Amino acid sequence: MNISDLKGRLGLEELQGAYEDRPLTGGYSSDLLSDVMAKAEKDQALITIQAHKNTVAVATLVGLAAVIVCNARPVPQDMIDAARDEGVAVFRTGMTQFQAAGLLYAALGSGA
Amino acid sequence: MLVACDFHNHSCLSPCASLELSPSLLAALARERGLGLVALTDHNSALNAPAFAAAARREGVAALYGIEACSAEEVHVLCLFDEPDAALAFGDFLAERLPSYPYDPEALGDQAVVDEDDNVVDLPQTYFGAALELGFDELCAGAAGLGALVVPAHIDRPMFGAIAQLGFLPDGPYAAVESIRPLPPEAARGYTRIRGSDAHYPEHVARRPFGLELGAGWMKAGGRVDLVAVRGALAAGLVRLPDERG
Repeated sequence: MNISDLKGRLGLEELQGAYEDRPLTGGYSSDLLSDVMAKAEKDQALITIQAHKNTVAVATLVGLAAVIVCNARPVPQDMIDAARDEGVAVFRTGMTQFQAAGLLYAALGSGA
Repeated sequence: MLVACDFHNHSCLSPCASLELSPSLLAALARERGLGLVALTDHNSALNAPAFAAAARREGVAALYGIEACSAEEVHVLCLFDEPDAALAFGDFLAERLPSYPYDPEALGDQAVVDEDDNVVDLPQTYFGAALELGFDELCAGAAGLGALVVPAHIDRPMFGAIAQLGFLPDGPYAAVESIRPLPPEAARGYTRIRGSDAHYPEHVARRPFGLELGAGWMKAGGRVDLVAVRGALAAGLVRLPDERG
């Protein structure tokens, strides 16, 4: 499953679509960016409600494939701008982190 | 002159603080324990600032009136003003951005607005411990725009500090940054570091003061603190910290 499949498979809103498409290896769910820095892995999708431009900085540092902002949280423009500069995909959904993680887990588990 | 300062103290208005720690007790303990400049910083509200102003005047302690605001990212930020009214006005601005939770004092703690003689004046029913619907950057810019000293609180704590919540301290209009323990220089990102007691109980008052070298005239007529002088001293790094090793 690629980054570009996220939108359709999980029913996400694409907020920042300028990214290099590549396969997703998994997901990580956390709202503490210090924890994301320590535990998330390259090419995972981050499932979070932490919508701040630092989310993008941490995503870049770790090499995350995408950021999925849950609970329809407002996403500041400077976060979207930073994501465009860094080529990080940003999606948003009204789902909770639990729901989004469940769908992503199932989608990845099916080998698609 | 070297002034013993503490910019981070709660009162009985904070749901997580002791009901015993009234603004008048805070002012009295601050004087007893040798502080020269002390701030009241309850969570998301300044409703005890008027009582603190009266008590600090009575005790002869210089005061700042602040709020420890909790951003949407759950980063705590001290926003410090020179007048109770300015802090109250900022509190009104924040009140419009507080989510409405079902607030249960039994579970979450009491929030008492008191006068300078510890009489309970009000028990607000909005929970002040919640995260504001206001992002960290917007919060800092808004407070700074109103003339506040903006100090990200306990940036080294595992929760509610800028580094834990946001991975690292973003750039901002900070007068200083507060940490509980000494910080590696790169973590403070060039901002002046202070420490603070974050007092929630009487025994916490003055447990982590810092010294600030202030020029004559830092206290203006009527006991009002010259925020420009305080900001200047912080910017110039005129902070004196004790040896915190070991």
